[in-house]
Amino acid sequence: MFGSRTVAVALMATVLAVSGCAGGGSNRDTGAGEMKAHTDATSLGQPDRPIAGPQGATPQFLVECLHSHTASDDPIVYPGRPGQSHLHEFFGNTEVDAFATVGSLTNGGTTCDQPLDKAAYWAPALLRGGAVLKPVKSTAYYRPGEGVPPASVQPFPVGLVMIAGNSGATGEQPLSIVAWGCGAGIERAVLPPECAEGRDLRLLVTFPDCWDGSNLDSHDHHAHVAYSARGVCPKGFAVSIPQLQFSVEYPVWGSTDGLVLASGGLTTGHADFMNGWDQAKLTSEVELCLHREVVCGVASGRKTG
Amino acid sequence: MVSVLSGRGCLVINVLGEHMQRKIWAAAMAASLLLVAACGDERAADSTTAPTAAAPETTVGADTTAAADTTVAADTTVAAVEGTITVPDDYPTIQAAVDAAAPGDLILVKPGTYNEAVNVTTDGITIRGLDRNEVILDGKLELDNGIRILGAKGVAVENMTAMNYTRNGFFWTGVDGFRGSYLTSYRTGDYGVYVFDSMNGDLEHIYAAGSPDAGVYIGECFPCNSVIDDTVSEHNGLGYSGTNSGGNLLIVNSTFRFNRAGVVPNSGSYELCYPERQTTIVGNTVYSNNQADTPAIDVAILAMGNGILSAGGVLNDIERNLVYDHDKSGIGLVPFLEEDPNDSVPLPEEWGTTCEDSKSKTPVDPGAGILWDSMQNRVIGNVLSDNRAADLLVASAGTDVSTLGNCFSGNTHTTTAPNNLETLAPCDATGSGDWKDGEYNVAAWLGEATTRPPSVDYKVAVIPALEPQVNMPDAATAPVRPATGPKTIDLESIVVPSKPV
Repeated sequence: MFGSRTVAVALMATVLAVSGCAGGGSNRDTGAGEMKAHTDATSLGQPDRPIAGPQGATPQFLVECLHSHTASDDPIVYPGRPGQSHLHEFFGNTEVDAFATVGSLTNGGTTCDQPLDKAAYWAPALLRGGAVLKPVKSTAYYRPGEGVPPASVQPFPVGLVMIAGNSGATGEQPLSIVAWGCGAGIERAVLPPECAEGRDLRLLVTFPDCWDGSNLDSHDHHAHVAYSARGVCPKGFAVSIPQLQFSVEYPVWGSTDGLVLASGGLTTGHADFMNGWDQAKLTSEVELCLHREVVCGVASGRKTG
Repeated sequence: MVSVLSGRGCLVINVLGEHMQRKIWAAAMAASLLLVAACGDERAADSTTAPTAAAPETTVGADTTAAADTTVAADTTVAAVEGTITVPDDYPTIQAAVDAAAPGDLILVKPGTYNEAVNVTTDGITIRGLDRNEVILDGKLELDNGIRILGAKGVAVENMTAMNYTRNGFFWTGVDGFRGSYLTSYRTGDYGVYVFDSMNGDLEHIYAAGSPDAGVYIGECFPCNSVIDDTVSEHNGLGYSGTNSGGNLLIVNSTFRFNRAGVVPNSGSYELCYPERQTTIVGNTVYSNNQADTPAIDVAILAMGNGILSAGGVLNDIERNLVYDHDKSGIGLVPFLEEDPNDSVPLPEEWGTTCEDSKSKTPVDPGAGILWDSMQNRVIGNVLSDNRAADLLVASAGTDVSTLGNCFSGNTHTTTAPNNLETLAPCDATGSGDWKDGEYNVAAWLGEATTRPPSVDYKVAVIPALEPQVNMPDAATAPVRPATGPKTIDLESIVVPSKPV
């Protein structure tokens, strides 16, 4: 009885959200709608569709973080092994290297406009002709997963780490997880589109919004988290967590010729997250913004701090 | 009628009052400092012994007894009244008082510096400082919002100052019913006073300086049913901004000066409830918005040098404003080009859709950039001078501007672009003439923007020292006034302001 009512509420919320928010996620470059054969990401599910559209329909809080540093480090995949990784761009916490742990994040500063967010965010470097295109900034959006009852969302646990997207993808990844776009626009494409002058190319990576409730990490750094579908978390991942959409802006307009991600090609987009939030602040933002279903901020036109 | 008279009366009093206040203020401050030095501060001592828990530290500053004697500062004595909570007497922090408050309660905040970011989730409470200039919320460039109201209806915030916040001084989001009165916002990372996705409210007697976005903002509402009255906004990226707002939204009797750009309502599909429409801008003093040393978002840099600029807005009424000394236009009706849209431009027959209803529409990717033209705006009876691109300006970026339905009548002006705008497009009459004569190339602004002085970090931007601002009358004793809707403004009786000296 209780269960079916919960499902009904969730479904209703889904319908509202589908009609009410984020756009249909245009796939201009790929032909609409269908998700192509994907990689091992399928085992984790994926969002119902790409998150896109005007801000203001979905409860959110967000953090804008300037670029911190570039390094061939990955403290999640290659902990303690500096220089082992492909080149990454780091945002947020300023002291992240191959030896960083969730415990060490408290030591660093932050490039984010929210000083209480010392999380580490990173994504592959984008290169052209061997030259690194230094990112302009990043934006971390925190929202309920589509159709998920906002009041059910719990803050990330202390110490959570996770990866979204597949750095080893050999084909296209689901647009709902990894997509390219221009500026704040609705377009979501598998490959980088040509952006108008002044509208930076963006890589958008959407993280899982369901957690297994016990593991802060897992062997592949994916298996302890999963994506909700139609507003419901899959079995074994009972805890709804904020759906983090991480967006990196690269200073690229016009031609995309010669662009390549440091992880190879242009379809290996991914992003990594280590929870370094002040936990009280994270909890309060989840409760005040997501549970109360209000917009606590929208992406600004600021290019600098 | 009465409210307008009092509104205009207030404006006059402000001008006289500020002049007199400066001298008195200096004396009061000196007296106050002496008092502190001589006697110490009892409340400050108390606050050190109060449990601090997780709440940010609150330091209570100078006693203002001396200032109160001078007529400058308010009487800060408080009588115990049912439903009244006093900070720091009853609770050491504003947040603790807010958390303890029930709908209808009045929280009185005594003079002091409060290093807090206050969140409000209780409907119908009033948070009032006893002295606007001495009740100071200071975010120390670390805390995000001075006071943030999240979905709580009918919350009034009165008579205090917020400074040094990384986001906004005062922020209402997702509310029905709001009021900000006698508020000062100074040096903030986004907006000064920010009202988003909210309706039925007032912002009055506001002073806002030192934000990269707008000093005052009301956005994403239709109909907004809101008023901005007797406000001064200066040294911001934008004096006023309102994206996709309007519908009985009045901006009156206010001053916008020394910003990059003055009053800039705009349309855009990056947020909901487009287009911006039916904003009424009457009786404002708008001057010298060419300020190159402010913090500034990208739109502020693009709009720099304009007094009142509709960027893709429709059905706005811009009347009886005094507008002078701008590098670009005094009053400009220009397009907003959105290269990376989130939806297609709605047709005129959709302009009446409420914000609430528009939230349930599915956006349609237009597949290319879109142009929001300024259409069907009325520009009447304004007094303009020394606006160096043109006093009155209308332009597009591809659309035939003669088809946009904007009109101009009865303005005191020297230059227009295109030439003879009041003959080309009079209000309530048939126009004639050559629209090509003196047409304006607004697209050139895109290129110019890249050569303009970049944003100055709000944390270090040089802005004028904060002057004492007019206090709310009888803050200690004035009854609670519900924040349930906009006050009545008699637009008809508002006349063009006289030039400040």
